Amino acid sequence: MAEQTERAYQYQPGVFQNTKLAAKKKSSGALKRWYCDVGLGFKTPKEAIEGTYIDKKCPFTSGTISIRGRILTGVVVSTKMKRTIVIRREYLHYIPKYNRYEKRHKNLSAHLSPAFIGVEAGDQVTVGQCRPISKTVRFNVLKVQKKIVKGAGAKQFTKF
Amino acid sequence: MVSRHDRHPLPQLPSPPPPASPTASEDTIQALNGHLLRGPNGGSMRWMFAGYATSWLDDGWMIMQSLPLPGRRQLPGFASTASTICIVIIANSRRISNGISRDSRHKRNATGAKRAHYRKKRKFELGRQSANTKIGAKRIHSVRVRGGNTKFRALRLDAGNFAWGSEHTTRKCRVISVKYNSTNNELVRTNTLVKGCIVEIDATPFRQWFESHYALPLGRRGKKPHDGHEEGLNKPRSNHVTRKVNERKEGFKVDQALDDQFVTGRVLARVSSRPGQSGRCDGYILEGKELEFYSRKIRSKGK
Repeated sequence: MAEQTERAYQYQPGVFQNTKLAAKKKSSGALKRWYCDVGLGFKTPKEAIEGTYIDKKCPFTSGTISIRGRILTGVVVSTKMKRTIVIRREYLHYIPKYNRYEKRHKNLSAHLSPAFIGVEAGDQVTVGQCRPISKTVRFNVLKVQKKIVKGAGAKQFTKF
Repeated sequence: MVSRHDRHPLPQLPSPPPPASPTASEDTIQALNGHLLRGPNGGSMRWMFAGYATSWLDDGWMIMQSLPLPGRRQLPGFASTASTICIVIIANSRRISNGISRDSRHKRNATGAKRAHYRKKRKFELGRQSANTKIGAKRIHSVRVRGGNTKFRALRLDAGNFAWGSEHTTRKCRVISVKYNSTNNELVRTNTLVKGCIVEIDATPFRQWFESHYALPLGRRGKKPHDGHEEGLNKPRSNHVTRKVNERKEGFKVDQALDDQFVTGRVLARVSSRPGQSGRCDGYILEGKELEFYSRKIRSKGK
């Protein structure tokens, strides 16, 4: 039970773990797991279905988070936070006087479900808008595309 | 004696009298005596002060009693006249008497910038003191909340409706003590009931149900049952009921960990209602992995 790291018992609220039938089948060891399809064509990762993590903010295994509103993409800047990442979104801003563009960027905090393992800085990530999860987090990671190592650094400008 | 302006139409006051002239007559004052007063604009109105506040309400309204001014009475900002009788309303349109607010305007930005303080606290941002529900003879206060609805703030509770999930029954049980709280050990020490805390409840209602439903002893452990307990086990049943009971017995066994708890007559349960909001301490009996988890926590804390 590696996922019981907190002081309170972690469980999926919709799943009743103590049915008498479950007691008979306890030899299998696996608890029933609830997962859902977030819609909009996003595939729910295998780890969400087969895994044992409990995350009340994960869009795939929590009944309380729905993805609606904006779907954005960005590059991962940092994964140092617990279950959330910082994404950098670059864009060009046009200055009419000079008929030219300038680079601008915005950072965004998104919740990273434990279903996505091995997300590093530099990966491209698709996030979907959900209800406020914390003070600054309103997005949830839906899809990860690993970085193709070409020698270019993560901070280099890449337009989407 | 309190009348809210939305429930009882307030008598409309005449526009504030110029300070120099005699003001409202005795009758008007008597009519207004004891009522909440509100100026024609609906907001704060400054009137000449002539009475004393009989009570402050939460949102800053004052109930004034009027007093006849004795002779000449100098009031700041107003010229007085000999027989001036006035009433003053000091009404802050949206003030909160408590200091607790739930706004985010006092917090720093995501970037770290300090946010400028540009407006006062609003009523819709208010927070109230926590209930800190203890165990004891039932004491519940009701609170009027936004929209006219009521919340029941339980200050002391002694029993709650607890569910035995796997058996699909619920019984009203006495709450004995708080055993574990994942957030704060202080709340365990002070026996404070909150949602999510682990409590010890009196198991007899469940044992009685069990023995009557299954005709099997629960939590006996070789002890001779007292005469009173025999009722559930050996009560007279009709044929039909006896048949049903025997059907239920087949292949049925209570979890060992639970059974041990029934021996002592006390069972661990988790509170799943919010006593400070609903006024109730309801919950469910811990079973299986969850019971194991919390038993371990309680044991390790006890050491």
